This record gives sequence, structure tokens and C-alpha cells, in this order.
Amino acid sequence: MMDTTAAPLIQLESVTKVYTTGAIRYEVLKGIDLAVRRGEYLALTGASGSGKSTLLNILGCLDVPTSGHYRLAGEEVSRKTDLELAHIRNRLFGFVFQSFNLLSRYTAEENVALPMTYGGLGRRERLEKSRRLLARVGLGDFTRHYPTELSGGMQQRVAIARALANDPAVLFADEPTGNLDSKTGMEIITLFGQLNTEGVTLIVVTHDTRVASHARRVLSLSDGRIIKDEQNTVVEST
Amino acid sequence: MTPYEYLRIAFDALAANKIRAALTMLGVIIGVASVIMLVAIGEGARTYIRTELMGIGTNLLIIVPGKTETTGMGRIPSGIQKLTLGDMRALEKRATLIPAMTAVVVSNAPVKYGNRMRNVEIIGVDQNFEAVRNLHVEIGSFVTKADVDARRRVAVIGRTVRAELFGEANPLGRMVKIGETKFRVIGIMEKKGVTLGMDIDDHVFIPVETAQEIFDQEGLTNIITQVINEKEIERAKQQIRAVLMERHAGEEDFTMVSQQAMLSTMQTILTTFTYVLGGIASISLLVGGIGIMNIMLVSVRERTREIGLRKAIGASQRDILLQFVIESVTLSVAGGVIGIAFGAGVAYGVKAAFPVIPVDVSAWSVLTAFSFAFMVGAFFGIYPAMKASRLNPIEALRYE
Ligand SMILES: Nc1ncnc2c1ncn2[C@@H]1O[C@H](COP(=O)(O)OP(=O)(O)O)[C@@H](O)[C@H]1O
Ligand SMILES: [Mg+2]
Repeated sequence: MMDTTAAPLIQLESVTKVYTTGAIRYEVLKGIDLAVRRGEYLALTGASGSGKSTLLNILGCLDVPTSGHYRLAGEEVSRKTDLELAHIRNRLFGFVFQSFNLLSRYTAEENVALPMTYGGLGRRERLEKSRRLLARVGLGDFTRHYPTELSGGMQQRVAIARALANDPAVLFADEPTGNLDSKTGMEIITLFGQLNTEGVTLIVVTHDTRVASHARRVLSLSDGRIIKDEQNTVVEST
Repeated sequence: MTPYEYLRIAFDALAANKIRAALTMLGVIIGVASVIMLVAIGEGARTYIRTELMGIGTNLLIIVPGKTETTGMGRIPSGIQKLTLGDMRALEKRATLIPAMTAVVVSNAPVKYGNRMRNVEIIGVDQNFEAVRNLHVEIGSFVTKADVDARRRVAVIGRTVRAELFGEANPLGRMVKIGETKFRVIGIMEKKGVTLGMDIDDHVFIPVETAQEIFDQEGLTNIITQVINEKEIERAKQQIRAVLMERHAGEEDFTMVSQQAMLSTMQTILTTFTYVLGGIASISLLVGGIGIMNIMLVSVRERTREIGLRKAIGASQRDILLQFVIESVTLSVAGGVIGIAFGAGVAYGVKAAFPVIPVDVSAWSVLTAFSFAFMVGAFFGIYPAMKASRLNPIEALRYE
């Protein structure tokens, strides 16, 4: 599962992120060094406002660091063009948000198919694959439903299916259980465990201790710095 | 992504807000429809006038008595002389640039056959009328020189007159009464229909001197002359002026109207009309385009989260740009197509109501309207689309 010999897939070196609002500078990330290998299951924890989302967005190439280096599979991300970054987000990464972010005018299967549209797959293949993915997250019977017709947990599972659309190497999730009750949250956690077993690298922002307890590695952020980086010796079985 | 995919996204987005899409298109619809409609009618009018005037012949020069001043009030005419057959004879002798001319006397009189009667325009003509006016007899014969010289009481009747007075009977050789005078019918004109608002078929032609006699007219209504060719019209006018002024005691108490001049006046009017139309069209398309831009800006704002999401799952700036440009082009082109259909519908409605005007929706006007609609969508869609494509995905996703 986890490949310890290969070079890290993701490597951050003294990454900072500074927001300036008017005259005030917010130093949200203050020098992050981090290496993530293929197949890891990483939880990012920390108090609210400690910079978890900011870090995850940088890792997911949705945002850019103010300074420092980000190497993805050995290549400097800051040198990539918009098209290359779009391609990375489309093919290599999958993203799951706390608020699901499904498009309400599309059905579940159409939502799941969206990344495949940008990936260049034909419509029929896309919908076939999205039905397979929906079946995999337990929504085989809801492919034609619109998001508003689904419960929160179901919507998040649609969002996960969408994140998996182009068989990503890394799945990013920002508080994926934050808007769900504990039972449905648990279902999502179980699903993540399975995905990791299948080889997907997982980086999950959470302050849900149950999520963290399922990860193999837990990072604690405080005030823009990594204050703890531990391997979970006893991983909760899923 | 294929162009079809962008189009699908555009249609989905527009379908999600149908009323708004329809209202946005309205500007383009009205602009395009009015252009199509007015160009069709304008072109129809142009074709109509052109064929009418061409039918008469562009090298015709018509001399009418009296001076029509074209500049200011002019002087008060001192003793207008009539235009006479003598004048025409003089012109025939001396105006070398005019190989053919015909004297015309026009009057109105009731024409009777048996117990049927019709009020018609009686035209006194000579033997040259057929050739000069390009109107021909179909059955029987036209007025001859001998008829004119002997002031014979013979008549050539138009189609309508024939149908009204004779029905199915053969009029040739029959006697009709024009006013109180009996005339023998010697010919029937070919069917010509209405030209320049005149129903040629509703006329009776008699020898010019006979007409002068029975209507007690010394003068002529006009002299129609045929200039050797269009280019010589100015020189022909000089010749006519010289000959007639000499005969009229140095007074220019006549006016020459060339079909050329009428044609070019009409053309000028219609060209101005076309420019005005173009102006109206550009303004309405501009307004339509601004409407589209406005709605696209609103749409980009409303769909900020969607844009963020699309970027997060792999849409490039180019994808977003194309998506919104194609959406606005879809709007404007749909408006254009509806406008074309609507405008053409009205134009053909006019044609149905006024069949004499050859209204025609030309391919070029449809093509021009279509491409303008397309360009309006592209031009006014670019700015909102660029705004969308440059959104930062994270900020966009956080947008409430
Ligand atoms: N666009 C921004 N402009 C200014 N400040 C920001 C912006 N985004 C985040 N921040 C600030 O950065 C800090 C860290 O935010 P975030 O990474 O969302 O923390 P977490 O996810 O750990 O709660 C917060 O104090 C937040 O207010
Ligand atoms: Mg956060």
C-alpha cells in the first residue's frame, strides 16, 4: 500500500501564505515542510483558523503559496501553466468539500460526470462510468435524482463519486463530515478507508477525532505551523 | 472538450432560466427582425421601382408644357405656349440625337358598347407610340400614320376595357362610342398590368389628331422622345431646348423629365433609406448586445460558486472563457434566428397584403443579420467570460 522507497509524490518546502487585507497582513501559513508519499492516508487537524484549509488548497493546486516550493512528482508547481494545473486538478486530484458543491441543475450522474467532461470522455462513457461510481458509493438507485432530492450524506457521497471520476491519485477532503450527522459521517469515513486500501492517497482536513483515528498519519496545525506529525500505530479498522 | 460539450453546457444554463434568456434575447430579436423586415420591404420597393422605370426605358426623355422650376420660385411665366404637333415635327427634323418620338394627348371619356359603359383614360397617340413606349398590340393592328393624318375614328383598346365592354365577344371591327363619337375597334393591346400606378390595360388608344379634334385640344399632353442612348441624354436636352426655344420666342416654357433622373432620384432616396435602416439596426443590436453583456455579468456573479467548482474539478481558464462566450453567442444567435423568422414572417405578410411590391427576404440580409447577431454575442460576451475565467477557484467557492 504505502510506498516508502519512492520519492514523495508531494513535497512542500518552507511554504508560506500571507493574506493582505488593506494594511493588515495575515500570515496564515508560516513555513510548512511536508512530504506525502503515494498511498498515504493523512489527516490534517488543528483549531479553527489554524490554516488547515489554506494548506489543503495549496496542496490541491487550487491556491498558490506566497513563498516556498511545492514539488509535485518532482516538478515545481509554480512553473506550471493554467492548462497544466487544470489538467492536474482534473486527472491527478479529486476534491471533496464540506458543503458538497453539487450543481443543482444536474442529476447525480451528471454531477459525477462533470470532471470527465473536462477529461474529454464521450457523454455515454461518462454516464456509464458515473453510474458505476455511484453504485460504488451506494447510490446505484439514485443516479437520476437531483441534489435537492438527496440527503446530506447522499450528496456528499455523490461529491465523492465525482472526486473519483477520473481515478485520481490523490483525494483531498476538507471537513467532509462537517455537515453530516455522526452516522452518515461514519459511512463516509468507512468509504475513505476502503479507497485508501485500493491505493488512493488521502489527505483529509478534519477536527472529527474519529476521522483522524482512521488515518495512518496525523498532522496537527497550530497558528500556521505543523506542531505534530505522527504515525497512527493503532489504526481503527473500518 | 468538443464544441458540442460547450454548447450543451450553454443550453443547460440557459434552460435553467428560460424567461430571463427570452427577455435578454428580445433586444437582438427586435433588432434583427426590424432589419430583415425593412430590408425586405425596402428591397422590394427598389426592385419594383427599378423594373417599372426600366420597363419604360432609361433613355426616354419626356417633354411636358410649362416650366417647373427646380430652384426657388423662379420667374412668372410670360405667356406659356402649348406644346404642339408642329413642335414635334420640328424636333423630328432637327434633333438628331432623337431617332424616335411620339406625341401624346391624354383625356378622360366614357366608352360605350351596347349598353355597357366604362370611364377610361383615352390616349391620343401616333404610330411611333408602340415602339417608343414598348407597349404592343396583340390582336389586330395599332394606330398607323395614315390613321393619324386622316384623323380616322379608330381605337385600340386595353385588356380591361375589352373584358368590361365585350366580355368574351370579339371586339375587332365593332363600333364603340367614345363620348359622342363612334370609333371602330382595330386592335387589342397585350396584357401589361399596372405600371407606375397606371393600369395600362384600362386605356383606349386613338390617333392623336383625332383626339385633339374630339377633345378640342390644340396642345399635346406631352412628347415622349427616345434618345439614341442613355449617355446622350444631356446633349439631346440641349438640342430640344434649342429647337423649342426658337419656336417659342426664346422662352423655355417646357420641362424635360428623363427617366434617368427619376431613377437616380429614387435610388438616392432608397439608399438613404437603407443607411437609416442600417443605423437603426446597429443601435438596436448595440442595445441588445449591452443587454446580453449585462445579463452575462449577472450570470457570472450568480454562478461564481459553479465556476469555482468547475475549476476545482479541472476546467481551465480557456474552458470557462469558452463556456461563457458560447453561452452569450447562443443567446444572441438564438435571438437572431427568432428575429429572422419573425421579420421574414412580417415581410411575407406584407407581400400577401400588397402583392404588387415584390417583397423578398434576400439571402444576404439573412446572412448579414445572422453574422451580426453572432458577432454581438461574441463581442459582448467576451468581457463577462474573461471575468469568469480569471476567478480564483478558492474565492469563487467561498462566494455566498
Ligand atoms: N482570502 C483570505 N483573506 C484573508 N484572510 C483569509 C483568507 N482566507 C483565509 N484567511 C484567514 O486565514 C486563516 C486560516 O484560514 P483557514 O485556512 O480557512 O483555517 P482552517 O481551515 O484551519 O479553519 C483564518 O484566520 C482566515 O480568516
Ligand atoms: Mg477550514
